[in-house]
Amino acid sequence: MAEEKRRSMIKIKPKKYSVGDIINVDFIIIHPMDTGMQKDKKTGNIIPAKYIDNITFFLDGKPFTSMKVWETVSTNPYFSVNLKVPGEGKITVEYTDNTGEKGSQSKKLQPKG
Amino acid sequence: MKRRSFLKGLCAVSAVTATMTPSLLSAEEKKKIQSPNAMDYKTAVDTITGGKGATESPKVSLTVPEIAENGAVVPVKVDVDHPMEENNYVKAIHVLAKENSNSRTADVMLTPLNGKGFFATRVKLAKTQEVVALVELSDGSFISAAKSVKVTIGGCG
Repeated sequence: MAEEKRRSMIKIKPKKYSVGDIINVDFIIIHPMDTGMQKDKKTGNIIPAKYIDNITFFLDGKPFTSMKVWETVSTNPYFSVNLKVPGEGKITVEYTDNTGEKGSQSKKLQPKG
Repeated sequence: MKRRSFLKGLCAVSAVTATMTPSLLSAEEKKKIQSPNAMDYKTAVDTITGGKGATESPKVSLTVPEIAENGAVVPVKVDVDHPMEENNYVKAIHVLAKENSNSRTADVMLTPLNGKGFFATRVKLAKTQEVVALVELSDGSFISAAKSVKVTIGGCG
């Protein structure tokens, strides 16, 4: 598999939070999410399906949310879940797509107070 | 008067061609191309719940736009009013679109660490239809909520 450089990010809302708060963790990624049903307008060939099928959210290596995703999710998707802040740590999100492409993104969890 | 009637005629012709051609094209394309993981709504619910089915519940609140101008990007938000304790929590949230050729969009497996049964994303809708949030609780029961979304331009190719 050709390793493409794909942009992704993790966003935490709100910006300031303390231990015990419930925060939003958003995972945003630039991905085509092709359904395999569209045609290339220039060549007339069907664009092969390429979509993210698995996403796992880890906190310090321990999974807290896992998702199975299909091609019916929009292009450049975002996935938002909640997390109760247990203390300092590191959030890591790993994804795979149906063509075998893999990637991950991480962000530090820094509660104040 | 002649000019007026001529213009009227022209308008009618252009309106007919505009409405006819896209529908013909899309019908042809739909016959040829099939979704790689096509699964209708009933089969999807049966596989998720194991044939048990789900009961509608006010505990699940589903937020979708009433009218989506672009079916390719429809925001969906699911909130579950249920405790997230060690032995009593929201186990999974499934988002389904009834009329899409593959009605499944996302299965989210949650744990008590999440603190709240919440999930948000954006989905593609092929046409005007109902979006369903199917929620599995840790005791094995299923609750759901459904809302219809009016789609002006379909988003599944």
